[in-house]
Amino acid sequence: MPRNLQITLTILAVAVIIGLLSLRSLQNRMTRLAQTQTTEEQARRELLKPQITTASDVVSQTKIFWADGPDQIAPSQVALPLSADPVKRARQVIDALILQTPSPDQRTLPADATLLGFYILPDGTAVADFSDALSTGTPSGIISEMQAIDSIARTLENNVSGLRRLKILIHGQEADTLAGHVDLTGFFELHSAGTGLVTPSSQALPTTPSPIPSSSNSATAPPSPLR
Amino acid sequence: MIVIDPAHGGTDDGAQGPNGTFEKDIVLRYARQLRAEFERLGYRVVMTRNDDSNPSYEDRAATANAYRDAIFISIHVSSTGKIGTARAYSYQFSAPSGPDSAAAPKSLVVWEEAQRPYLDASHRLADILQIELAQRFPGSPTASTAFGIRELRSVAAPAIAVELSSVAVPDGSLLASMGAPLAGTIAHSVQLSRPGYADPRSDPRNPAAATPRPAGAN
Repeated sequence: MPRNLQITLTILAVAVIIGLLSLRSLQNRMTRLAQTQTTEEQARRELLKPQITTASDVVSQTKIFWADGPDQIAPSQVALPLSADPVKRARQVIDALILQTPSPDQRTLPADATLLGFYILPDGTAVADFSDALSTGTPSGIISEMQAIDSIARTLENNVSGLRRLKILIHGQEADTLAGHVDLTGFFELHSAGTGLVTPSSQALPTTPSPIPSSSNSATAPPSPLR
Repeated sequence: MIVIDPAHGGTDDGAQGPNGTFEKDIVLRYARQLRAEFERLGYRVVMTRNDDSNPSYEDRAATANAYRDAIFISIHVSSTGKIGTARAYSYQFSAPSGPDSAAAPKSLVVWEEAQRPYLDASHRLADILQIELAQRFPGSPTASTAFGIRELRSVAAPAIAVELSSVAVPDGSLLASMGAPLAGTIAHSVQLSRPGYADPRSDPRNPAAATPRPAGAN
């Protein structure tokens, strides 16, 4: 083999080895950077998060709707300090829905999803603005997306009075779908018949008197999309 | 005309199971089995995709809306749910049309609400199918579900989505074995639903008589 060719091949081989090593190092740095950014994002959210618990909150029994098996949801009684202000109250129950999930199997919303904003319009329209994680972290599928929507809607309608319908935004924007299937361009009607995802056994459960307004007529009413 | 819609495709893998199982591949196989079953029964069939492409929701709806007397069937596989079961869905609008559709001339159909005149037919088909699915795939619900499934909203024809559970199954052969019974069940349900169905577009007095087009279409 000619000497020139040998030298060229050697240089090429060295270059390839250096390139591979550099790529691996670059990949590791990118992974570390991504982890750091996530942590910073979480820390920023924690800092900017409005204080939703106040001294005047009253500890009440709430109904939080988590998954009950692979394709249903059911209410669980949870004692929570709740505000009299409906907006703060809504934030409190949605936070509980995300953060106080009893077990991984009962989770309906991604653990890193955050409620960025919540508003109630004069006509009873509730606007819930979630972080991107709600969209990216919800398992793809009609049934899993329905469970996510149902758990939000039913938790709200059972604990916050005066809500008529629900609009879900993702990071302040209207999204086409939640995770590829369920239509988010419209509204979800609250206090209506709909998906039937609530377990029959939980529908039959006697409801204990609760200080929470609007709990009496909505124990089994799943949401339905409203356009 | 039967319009079969294998969901997802291209860069949209859909649900992902263990061992690199992608929903987009499974539903394409199911769709081809379903097409063969319908063709065996003498139906004309068109698919919204027959490769690893990912048509938009509007393109998928437009495929169905190009035909009169079509039936649109979207095939999905979930990432959760009771393994070995199947659910049928129809679209649900639960309130009167919004201001846009109210302002539209009577002879036009609002693209975003093209499914509205067909809700009854869609729900009837979904109900018939769900009863059949419950018999074929034990553990499935006995009633269909009406919910806002995006893919169905702009379809001007009876339209349903079928979702099997799930890609999380440890043994991939179970999913593969569901394809043939699924195809037979869907085809049989369509046959059962046809006698009672009259296309609203066949009535010229009905606003749905006009074939809808997406905004900006020529």
